[in-house]
Amino acid sequence: MNRLPLIFVGVLAAFAASWLGLVVYPYLELGHMQPVPDEDTGGYFPPALPGLAVVGQRVYAANGCLYCHSQQVRPGPLSTDIAKGLGPRRTVARDYLRSQPVFLGTMRTGPDLTNVGLRKTDANWLHRHLYDPRPVTEWSIMPSHRFLYNMRKIQGQPSEDAIQGLAGPHAPPAGFEVVPTDEAKALVAYLLSLKRDYPLPEAPLSPAKK
Amino acid sequence: MTAGILLLVGGLVFLSGSALAAFCWAARDGQLLKLREAPLTIFDDDEPVGVPTDRFPSRK
Amino acid sequence: MKPHSLLTSLDPATVPDALASHERAEIDASTRGPVLLFFGSAVFWLLVGSVLGLLSAWKMTHPGLLDSAAFLTFGRIRPAHLNAVIYGWASSAGIGTGLWLMARLCRVPLMHSKLLVGAAIFWNLGILVGVLGILAGDSRSVEWLEFPGYATPILFVAYACIGVWGVIMFRFRRPGHIYVSQWYLLAAFLWFPWMYATANILLVWQPVQGSAQGAVNWWFAHNVLGLWFVPIGLASAYYMIPKVIGRPIHSYYLGILGFWSLALFYGWNGMHHLIGGPFPAWMISASVVASVMMFIPVVTVAINHHMTVRGNFDALKWSPTLRFTVFGAMAYTVVSLQGISMAIPSLNALTHFTDYTVGHAHLGLYGFFSMMMFGAMYYIVPRLVGWEWPSATMIRWHFWLVATGILLMVGSLTLGGILQGLALYDPIVAFQSSLDYATPFRWLRGISGFLLLSGHVVFAALFVLMLLKIGRRREGPALFAPSDGNKPEAATA
Repeated sequence: MNRLPLIFVGVLAAFAASWLGLVVYPYLELGHMQPVPDEDTGGYFPPALPGLAVVGQRVYAANGCLYCHSQQVRPGPLSTDIAKGLGPRRTVARDYLRSQPVFLGTMRTGPDLTNVGLRKTDANWLHRHLYDPRPVTEWSIMPSHRFLYNMRKIQGQPSEDAIQGLAGPHAPPAGFEVVPTDEAKALVAYLLSLKRDYPLPEAPLSPAKK
Repeated sequence: MTAGILLLVGGLVFLSGSALAAFCWAARDGQLLKLREAPLTIFDDDEPVGVPTDRFPSRK
Repeated sequence: MKPHSLLTSLDPATVPDALASHERAEIDASTRGPVLLFFGSAVFWLLVGSVLGLLSAWKMTHPGLLDSAAFLTFGRIRPAHLNAVIYGWASSAGIGTGLWLMARLCRVPLMHSKLLVGAAIFWNLGILVGVLGILAGDSRSVEWLEFPGYATPILFVAYACIGVWGVIMFRFRRPGHIYVSQWYLLAAFLWFPWMYATANILLVWQPVQGSAQGAVNWWFAHNVLGLWFVPIGLASAYYMIPKVIGRPIHSYYLGILGFWSLALFYGWNGMHHLIGGPFPAWMISASVVASVMMFIPVVTVAINHHMTVRGNFDALKWSPTLRFTVFGAMAYTVVSLQGISMAIPSLNALTHFTDYTVGHAHLGLYGFFSMMMFGAMYYIVPRLVGWEWPSATMIRWHFWLVATGILLMVGSLTLGGILQGLALYDPIVAFQSSLDYATPFRWLRGISGFLLLSGHVVFAALFVLMLLKIGRRREGPALFAPSDGNKPEAATA
């Protein structure tokens, strides 16, 4: 029993060390990373988010998108994320500098969204999908987010913002249009900004993918 | 940021210190001896070892 | 004549500071108000959380279900479910159980009950505000910590009262040995505010930048499991199992070893939720190692519990408490071993991001912790109200509904998750296949939700009947139960 104090000190050290390693270290190091300059354009990697996209993060958070969608590309060889086309390279800590909150996610009920801005560049498609997923992707189980949109009577000319090509049970009847609210516009701006196709010192792009 | 570090390190010191104090106290108080008698402390004359203390309510 | 073992009578090591019989009744009575308040809250949130969970489950197989209003969208209902069951049901039940155990083990009547009543009110208020806040769209979207910043301080104040109370009780305890359950409870009561405060500060009030959030998030979430719920659940098991059967814990030394090895290794596990993620490799590796080392405390506890019950498994027939507690204890072993396997990177590459993880989470929080809490409540409540549970049949219905429900849920999500994971892993398989594989199993999971909800309704009815003192009067508190030999007539089940 006289070895116990020694055991205890060891236990204490490991327990405190966990806090140091998983809380303090990330706070000091990962939490204070800086973007790296991009020689070609004079900007920075990761690029700053456009203003509307910053607001879009809050809409993403409010509606719990991360419970079905992850935002991380894992490296091979253990993971096949890159082989499956989730992105040209793995994601690293610096990629998430501009994110608030950080939507790493732990479920892929729906596809990973790290690079959705590379795969879907058309805002209208994203609006159609958010408004009612199944007419766009018939096997999708994503819920409709039509509460982020307003259906209204067309006043004279159709609005510029009106979503084109809506089909299915919630499509607007003749004489009506669906326009996105500011929240929907912000969310789509955010989704369009999701791309990690720039190189970083710790995560270069392989020559074939540049 | 400094507030954050102070909080983190302060919390660490407080917690480790109190845990260490608790352990030293326990060792001094003899809590780590008598490991054979210790499990018997939850029993007594009315609920002694060998008598169960729970059952389904009877239907009578 | 009271039968007690000759060995105990002759053993010179029998502890002389045993409780006098009338004092135990006094102590139980002193805990009545606060414990029943926390248990009542727990039952309420169990029902609310179960409905939210059922809704989440069916929205996955029927995405058009109740999809027009923002506050009912899956992305809000699902975190509302999570927080209602973690903080509303599980933590309230854990606090109630912890309070009662502390009073019994400190061998003094509960002091400052008004402090605890205030804590219970604040606790419930915080959860209500938090759940409504999530539905209103103010979720922080930090897993296990979604409550908006205006709700968490309320919870923290409530919790501070409980923590302070715990320290006071411990200070004024009757001198004598500290039982292993008290170690676990004290540790849980001290660990929780520390991790809750750290996480709130670094993720909600002054969010740390970048992927550091992921590290802090999962350090917190996994610690809530292993350093809050696990210690409370084990504290209950270490008391209920020997107390119900009437045999002391098999090896106290193993008990101490289990406690310290849990404390040693658990804190590093968190990063195994983020294997492959944007973090330095050493953090992930340390987590994997620590997760594997968890083998020690888990097997220690399993051996201890098994050896204590061994030879008395028929107790599962005549004791509701033991039935739920042993189910929980076995689930603890299985879910922990499963968790260790999931931290191995090669298996993780298949199971990460799938329903397999969801099944694992429910095996832990429900199969282990909730069942453990049901067991504790079945023991404690009669001793507080002085009344027998009104119906053995209802207890049996509760047990079989929820046991079947959780086994169906975990089984279906595990199988579905594996198939989903294989599809997600295969580079030439389209994403759609992962959904096609998972869907039939999600239907089964949805059915299990009905079983669980039904079981909870039965339990809630039993609880209310007890509060209203409907049913048979107990022959006094447990200590005056007629000493009718060893095994009462087995209730056929």
